[in-house]
Amino acid sequence: MEENTFDPDLIRAIFRLVWERRGAEREKNQLSEPEAEAGPSTSKRSRLTSANANALKLSCELLRVFVTEAIQRAATIAEAEGSVKIEATHLERILPQLLLDF
Amino acid sequence: MASDVERGEEDEESASELLRDRFRLCTISIAEAEAKQIGMEVSQPIMACISDLAFKYAQQLAKDLELFAQHGGRKSVNMEDVILSAHRNDHLSSLLRSFSNDLKAKEPQSERKRKKNTKKEDKAVADVLHIVDP
Repeated sequence: MEENTFDPDLIRAIFRLVWERRGAEREKNQLSEPEAEAGPSTSKRSRLTSANANALKLSCELLRVFVTEAIQRAATIAEAEGSVKIEATHLERILPQLLLDF
Repeated sequence: MASDVERGEEDEESASELLRDRFRLCTISIAEAEAKQIGMEVSQPIMACISDLAFKYAQQLAKDLELFAQHGGRKSVNMEDVILSAHRNDHLSSLLRSFSNDLKAKEPQSERKRKKNTKKEDKAVADVLHIVDP
């Protein structure tokens, strides 16, 4: 089970994409109102958030738990209905609580 | 300039699509392994659903982590931020806490731990000897 998890580099790439997008948005907002924070004229690069290796591994674990939890809960419902295949209705049943739990 | 911006957006779009596909592959392998373990099958559309959900969750997580790190006056996300992102669910945060302790134990103080372990083993051997003696 240990080896079957997300690739930290992949998660890093996804996080970086989100952070780049948010950084660009922030920059756009600052351009429209330049008086807000003209002081730190650092480039976008240096302001970009990063994540350390352990934090990424921990995020991988969190996402892995999300996926396994989705499968297990849906499987419980499917089993109760006497089915061996997880179908859309089973996922629908567990989805609200799953999203509240994460 | 407008075309530049557009091209940038297009690039970003394709990069995001590529990441989503790689993410989906990872999700499918995890989900399939999990389903196999409990002897269930997962239909294809559900697989796609779950991986999309997980991808959205990952993006949301990225946003949360950035905000947490910024709030802490940092530019780098650390393990505490990740644990904090799961604070609404006690089970989840304690699970993450123990996983983070494992990670911590593995890396910086591995030497100290090894020493402790050998000491313990020595003791165990001594105990065994002691029991064997009489």
